[in-house]
Amino acid sequence: MPFTDILPQLLVNGLIAGAIYALAASGFSLVYYVLKFQYFSQGAIMTIGAYSFFAFFTFLKIGYVAAGILSIIISILAALTINWLVYRPLRKRKATPVILLIASIVLLIFSSSFILSLFGSSAKTIPFANKAYDFGIFTITLLQIWIIASSIILFFVLWFVLKFTRLGKAMRAIADNKDVAQIVGINPEKIYTFTFIIASVLGAVAGVLLGLEQNLYPRMGVLIIVKGFISAVVGGITSVPGSIIGGLTIGIVENIGIWFLPSGYKDVISFTILLVFLLFRPQGIFGKRLRDDS
Amino acid sequence: MILDYFVSIIIYSLIYILIVTSLNLAYGFTGLVNLGHMAFFGIGAYVSALLTIHGVPWYIAMILAGAIASILGTIMAAITVRLKGDYFQVVTLGLVFMAIAISRNWISLTRGALGLPGVPSIISNKFYYMVFVFVICAVCVFIINLIVKSKTGRIFQAIRDDETAAAILGKNTYFYKVLSILISTFFAGIAGSLFVHYINFVDPTIFDLEFFVLMLSFLIIGGVASIKGTIISVFVLESVYESLRFIQISPEIIGALRVMIFMGMLLVILIIRPKGMFGKVVI
Amino acid sequence: MLSLNKVAKRFGGVNAVNKCTFNVEEGTITSLIGPNGAGKTTVFNIISGLTKPDAGTIKLNGKEIAGLPAYKIAQSGISRTFQLTKVFRNMSIKDNLLMAKEASEKEMEDVLKSVYLHKPIDTTASELSYGQQRLLEIARALLMEHSLLMLDEPTAGVNPRIRQELKIILKKLRKEGKTVLLIEHDMDFVMDISDKVIVLAEGRVLREGKPKEIMKDKKVLEAYLGK
Repeated sequence: MPFTDILPQLLVNGLIAGAIYALAASGFSLVYYVLKFQYFSQGAIMTIGAYSFFAFFTFLKIGYVAAGILSIIISILAALTINWLVYRPLRKRKATPVILLIASIVLLIFSSSFILSLFGSSAKTIPFANKAYDFGIFTITLLQIWIIASSIILFFVLWFVLKFTRLGKAMRAIADNKDVAQIVGINPEKIYTFTFIIASVLGAVAGVLLGLEQNLYPRMGVLIIVKGFISAVVGGITSVPGSIIGGLTIGIVENIGIWFLPSGYKDVISFTILLVFLLFRPQGIFGKRLRDDS
Repeated sequence: MILDYFVSIIIYSLIYILIVTSLNLAYGFTGLVNLGHMAFFGIGAYVSALLTIHGVPWYIAMILAGAIASILGTIMAAITVRLKGDYFQVVTLGLVFMAIAISRNWISLTRGALGLPGVPSIISNKFYYMVFVFVICAVCVFIINLIVKSKTGRIFQAIRDDETAAAILGKNTYFYKVLSILISTFFAGIAGSLFVHYINFVDPTIFDLEFFVLMLSFLIIGGVASIKGTIISVFVLESVYESLRFIQISPEIIGALRVMIFMGMLLVILIIRPKGMFGKVVI
Repeated sequence: MLSLNKVAKRFGGVNAVNKCTFNVEEGTITSLIGPNGAGKTTVFNIISGLTKPDAGTIKLNGKEIAGLPAYKIAQSGISRTFQLTKVFRNMSIKDNLLMAKEASEKEMEDVLKSVYLHKPIDTTASELSYGQQRLLEIARALLMEHSLLMLDEPTAGVNPRIRQELKIILKKLRKEGKTVLLIEHDMDFVMDISDKVIVLAEGRVLREGKPKEIMKDKKVLEAYLGK
């Protein structure tokens, strides 16, 4: 099939994958922006979101919407627990970003083992009455439309919150200069709590959508947060909208790339892009230039 | 049977000590948080496996395992040690993911996810292999200790404590940072070779984050920048890890429980005593 | 010994250092003073190689050093300290000093005595008080082979007794024919110790001369107090 014929389908596929990457990246990037550390635990939150949804839907049989809302609540509770048990004590001890990075990876590994011990290692599926819509130049499923729609809505809400609400302004203030923000009366811990809540919503939805689109397995969070991290780096780790664009970019590049390379090389493509960016443009496409060391 | 079991624990412990001590050289003594350390361990394993499968004698394979790991590590370091702290860590993390992806997809070389079975042993008798591993690891750790206590080791530690101050005292910090990684990854490669000739198999899971974080637990709980701490923590924690095997639950759950306990311990140490048991430094 | 000629450095849109030109003569103590933000520490960082200048030349004993990496400049004979003490916190006094020079224990004891730091050389640097760490940093800078010693605000945050000791140390160094360039805010200290004072304001040299002349200079007062 000539490339130009398949290109629209590849773009659509890329957009779908990119939307999920962007959801993963936005939560990661938001926490980095406000709390200044690499929040790999977001992968844990996504996994917890996915598995809670699976559990509520399969065992309580309450339907998609109710299961979705409950799984978001569970994810928020998980993130706040992690913050309270691990990150806040570390902040009190003035832990370096290295320690926080290590702690978040440790939490990620912990959670995948935790999920494994609760649900077993075999892949789980969530049934979904999917329909395919053929538009001639590309085909798209109902679920995929849901993925795109949910992401757009969530990103719009995120943008709105950050730009126009008091909470969003407080978050930006803390991100820009925590000390000055405190002087004008903003309570950092309260803002951190809200940051984790927002990130958990993004993460839970990402996990649920990913779980519906593919299967659930205990390690799913690890790979997806890595893709989210790559997207954030490419887009600009200090820029939340940048990381969203980064996610879409990675999704599209991967899907176009595997047209030319064996499909297993999908990950190699993104890791190569990661390394290139980290070495030559660490601030990403939209991030701020890192300051001179002198 | 019982003896076999203890021999197995000791062999794993010795190899882990070598992995962690080589990591300690870069991380604890030079302040280079090489989160990709296991990439070089795994590369050493694959190199040694492939060479011996194709008939190369083990001693050449082991040296090459260390050498190739070291060469790749040096190239990585030459490019990345100039990056600011945060970014060095994540680049090295990215390298591990790269290693996983490459080992899974370069099927003609690595057989992908199937891995390479039938890696020949150096010594088939497990007990004598344990003695062999002990000798090699003891020599390697001894060498690393000598380096740490030498003038070079002092420069490494100065770079960790304050790189700028080391520079204005006339030390080429770039050179020493690359040197630290060169040595560190060499011994990681040797450890990889010892490992693969014990389990006679290697596959991409050798690069898994779980394995690395387990090593990190030994390093941090024992005490960053303390070789003594590493040795003690590996023997103690590895015994704990293995003894948990005997609880009567399904092996899958045991595996998960062990990881959770270790991750929990590491988090507790990070929060209440980040220096670790015997360390003097917090990185 | 050291001459700067039209050295310049921009940060973002600001000229931190602008056409900076001055000399440091051998065997003298020269003080670099000026209001906050005048660019003094930037000049120090440029001379010692921690910051690359955008323009200008810097000659140490006739040899061009501008733009060289910091470790090469150190090897050329410049030894410096920092405003916020940079000792190797997890290393002993002895190891800190050994980083400067493979000295014998006697040499180390001598240099420690000369800065009035009376602590066993096995003491870990983090156990020292701030003032003692400062003395250690100076001892370390003295121990390294150098022709020019640069001290960035040596008296900042130290008690009066150590300040006095620092005066004595510097006077002794001058008697031995050593060359010192220092940044200071303590005007009494500057007056007492300096052979020459250079005033920096807004990145350029405003005035230079003997301490007494500078103190009476109207322009210098304006620079400090604002017009």
